[in-house]
Amino acid sequence: MKSRIISALIAGALCVVIPASTAAAQRSDSSRYDGQALRYESSWGSAKIIRGADGPLVGTAGWFRGIDVEKVVAGSPAARAEARAYKSNSFRASVVETLGATTTVVGVVLAANGSNNAATPILIIGGVGAMVWGAQQFHTAFSALSRSLWWYNRDVVRASLSPPPAPVAVPTRESEQAKRN
Amino acid sequence: MRRLSIALCAAQFLLLGATTMIAQDSSYDENALRIESRLGDLQIVRGTSSTVVARAGIFRGPRVANLVSSSEHALAEARVFERNYNPGTYMVAAGIALLGAAIGAGRIPDLNNGIPSGLLASSVLLIGFGGSKLESAYRGLSKAIWWYNRDLRR
Repeated sequence: MKSRIISALIAGALCVVIPASTAAAQRSDSSRYDGQALRYESSWGSAKIIRGADGPLVGTAGWFRGIDVEKVVAGSPAARAEARAYKSNSFRASVVETLGATTTVVGVVLAANGSNNAATPILIIGGVGAMVWGAQQFHTAFSALSRSLWWYNRDVVRASLSPPPAPVAVPTRESEQAKRN
Repeated sequence: MRRLSIALCAAQFLLLGATTMIAQDSSYDENALRIESRLGDLQIVRGTSSTVVARAGIFRGPRVANLVSSSEHALAEARVFERNYNPGTYMVAAGIALLGAAIGAGRIPDLNNGIPSGLLASSVLLIGFGGSKLESAYRGLSKAIWWYNRDLRR
């Protein structure tokens, strides 16, 4: 009789504890996502990396400038790989876009000065072609950036679901001295 | 008997916890959205399988509000995107067309100088204003997807 009462009490307590702990886990999960998850906003050809919905600006990337995205997403291996792809594509795009724009401007200036040699249309067509290819490389780079942040946020979710790491004892001067004694 | 029931309850507790974790985890992997761009085409992609769930056509933005309707915050931001994307695209397109017209008008001899200047000024205004509308649209899209992914686990 007594054991049945105890069993019923345990079962009842678990019914209360399980939903409460799940709700608490979801709350901490959301607050971790709110505080750490990243997103990017494109802004006139560059990308602003922002933490949270309206959070602080982590950095701006694009057109020969940029924060080290690999460093920002260092905690996630998959995100790091995409960040590397972003970096190489973005640099290539910046170089090709600059060369293309310069070539086009030179071609247009030569054409405007009435120099009717064969090089002028070649310069303009080549320059515009390079700019189009460069823009394509920028699109590839930003897709890699988007994937990188997606993987990073996914690992933020995973980390918030797993139990916190066990505390590690940090050696202090007193403990070191006690060990030596 | 008592020990058995305690063991069963503990097992149920652990099992429930583990199932919740796996379910939340796989929910992000399968359903979280992101933006990608292929050949200049804006696409919204879902999960690790990279399934394209929406794409922008010429002068028509992706239907984001339908996609993210499960999250209240995301829906509000998706509406910001939908309100700004189409007008922004039209304005930038009209501005580029006017720029072409201004260049063409500038080459016509004996034409009033005010016409190419006016066309140029209008095109700059349209491109600038349309561009800022597109900026607002992309900001809304970025936030909509962030909120949607955040609320996936609820």
